Parts: sequence; structure tokens; C-alpha cells
Amino acid sequence: MQAEKLIQLLLEETRQIINQAEKIKTCDMQILTWRENAISWNILECLEHLNLYGAFYLPEIENRIQNSTTTTDAEFKSGILGNYFAKTMLPKKKLNKMKTFKNKNPLNAQLDKSVIDKFIHQQIKLLELLNQSRSVSLNKVKTNISISNLIKLRLGDTFRFFINHIIRHLNQINRIQAAMQNLRQQP
Amino acid sequence: MKEIAALSEKTIILERNEFLKVKGSIDTNVYYIESGSLRAFVLDNFEEQIIRLGYKENLIVPLDSFLTGNPSDLYIQAIKKTVIKVITKAQIDVFLKTEANRNLWIKILETLVVQQMEREIDILTNSPGERYERVLKRSPQLFQEIPNKHIASYLRMSAETLSRLKKS
Repeated sequence: MQAEKLIQLLLEETRQIINQAEKIKTCDMQILTWRENAISWNILECLEHLNLYGAFYLPEIENRIQNSTTTTDAEFKSGILGNYFAKTMLPKKKLNKMKTFKNKNPLNAQLDKSVIDKFIHQQIKLLELLNQSRSVSLNKVKTNISISNLIKLRLGDTFRFFINHIIRHLNQINRIQAAMQNLRQQP
Repeated sequence: MKEIAALSEKTIILERNEFLKVKGSIDTNVYYIESGSLRAFVLDNFEEQIIRLGYKENLIVPLDSFLTGNPSDLYIQAIKKTVIKVITKAQIDVFLKTEANRNLWIKILETLVVQQMEREIDILTNSPGERYERVLKRSPQLFQEIPNKHIASYLRMSAETLSRLKKS
């Protein structure tokens, strides 16, 4: 895939992510803190989970871009592992549940609406990094991942993986809102 | 303007604070605002600098992208619920095949160049009071359509300074 095409695609996905976050921001706390059962996340916890990942990946990506001596590649080719990780992150028709790492689980943390602002702020940072990534190689720049020190992913795949993970949990937020609607409609 | 808007085959509705465009995207569309208002800005270290404001019956365009096909640094965001008509570059190209339309298009671009020049003088004017007076004289309707905090950013001053100037 052309590198610029990938960047355009990821920028557009990020735009839609920000727009969904802006909509979530207009909900009141009753909606934002509703949970389907004792161990499932509420909307704010979903976003905080994403913020915890952003706190790892955004500085990691920024560092790798700034310390890179590579130049632009016209084409980006996914790595085998990177492509696999990015794809498994995407939500499927049938819910593919995943385990959450303990240090990324915000269940029952004390959260308020500032979580949403923090999330949007991180997306603006992501846009900035996508723009900066134009001047380096999306293939040769490699980043660490949060779950293992043994694996490194190509920057292009890291972006895909990171953004797909966000899309995954924004889908979860849609499901939470739908479940809440259903409950309300019952007489 | 109406002629341009009539080319559109697609309408978008943006809720308050939704982004039409973000930094880095290539966007070669022209947008005609049916209702609502938008702001175009750049972010300088997370600080917004508003470059353009648009409200009903205005056109808003990421002009750099439109003309060059390159990515543009502009963000465009809805200030309130906004209905816009999308006119693609391809539609404009077809429109420009007749001479009468080309003349109209040149008129629109000429007006834009003059506006850009006025705006350049605005920004280079030292006195906040004078910057305010210039824009008030040129676009009195702006103050009916756009909330003060955005006009203040457009005028490169604090909201407090703007409200003081409006009172005096």
C-alpha cells in the first residue's frame, strides 16, 4: 500500500474517533457510568483503558520518530506479525472477547468527565504523530509493544494496531449504549 | 455562490464540535454552509489559532489542499449543529468548462484574494482595538453568528479584551 494512502486512511479513522468522542462528551454522568453487570466496564472505563494504552504508545511512537534517521518510503508493507496483531484487534461480527492485562484494567477506578478530554487530547497527539511519520520510513522504524519486550512492530503496523484497538473499544461503547437503551425500553 | 452550491449532490450534517477535517488530510472539496457555523484553525502547541470563520451562505474550503492536492494543516470544526453541501473538485472542473462559469469562478477567487489581503493586514495591525474595528466594519454579521470566544481567537486577543472593546 502507498504510505501516503495509509496515512490518509488512518487520519480519517482518527477524525471519526474524535467525532465519536465529542458525542460521548455530551452524555450525562448517569449514562457514562452505567454498567451492564458488576465486572463489565462503563463508558468512562472503556475510555480510560484506551488512555492507559495511549500513555504507553504515543510517547513510544514519538521517540522512535524523533530518533529515526530513516527517510520516507513510497510503499508500506505490513509485517506478518504486525498485520496479524492489527487485524485481530478489529471487532468482528461475532464478539471476540479478549483478556485485559491487569495494569490496563480501569474497573472501578474513580473517573470523571476529564477522562474524555484526556482521550481527545491523545487523539490530537496521534494526528500530530501521523503527520510527523511522513518524514520517516513506516517500514524501517520499529516500535516496542506493551505486551512483550521480544517483539517489535513496524511503525505503520503500530499505528494500525493502535487505532484498531481504539475502534474496538468505541464499538464496545456503542454496545453499552444499546444495552442501556434496551433496558430502558422494558416496561 | 448559489451556482456553486447547486452543483452539490451530497449534504453532511455535523453536530456541535464535530470535525469536518483534521490536520494532515487531503481534502479537495468545497463546502457550502446551509446553516450553522464552522471554524478553520491550526494548532500551535495545542493552542488554537483561528484562520477563518464561516456561517450560513458562506463557502469554506481547505484552499491549499483544493489547489495543490497536497495535505493541509487545517482543522475544520463545527461550532454548532451545521448543515453543509459538499461540492467535489471534479464537479467544479465540469462546471468550469463553460466560459460564463469560468468568469464567475474568477470573480469568486478575486474576492477571496482581496479578503485574504484584508485578513493579512488585520493580523499585522498592532492595536487590538484597530483589529476589532476593521473586522466589525467589514463583517458586522460575524458578531451575530459566531460566539465571542472564537471571534477573539480570530482577532488574536483574549475574550476579555474583546468584550471590553465591544462595550467601549
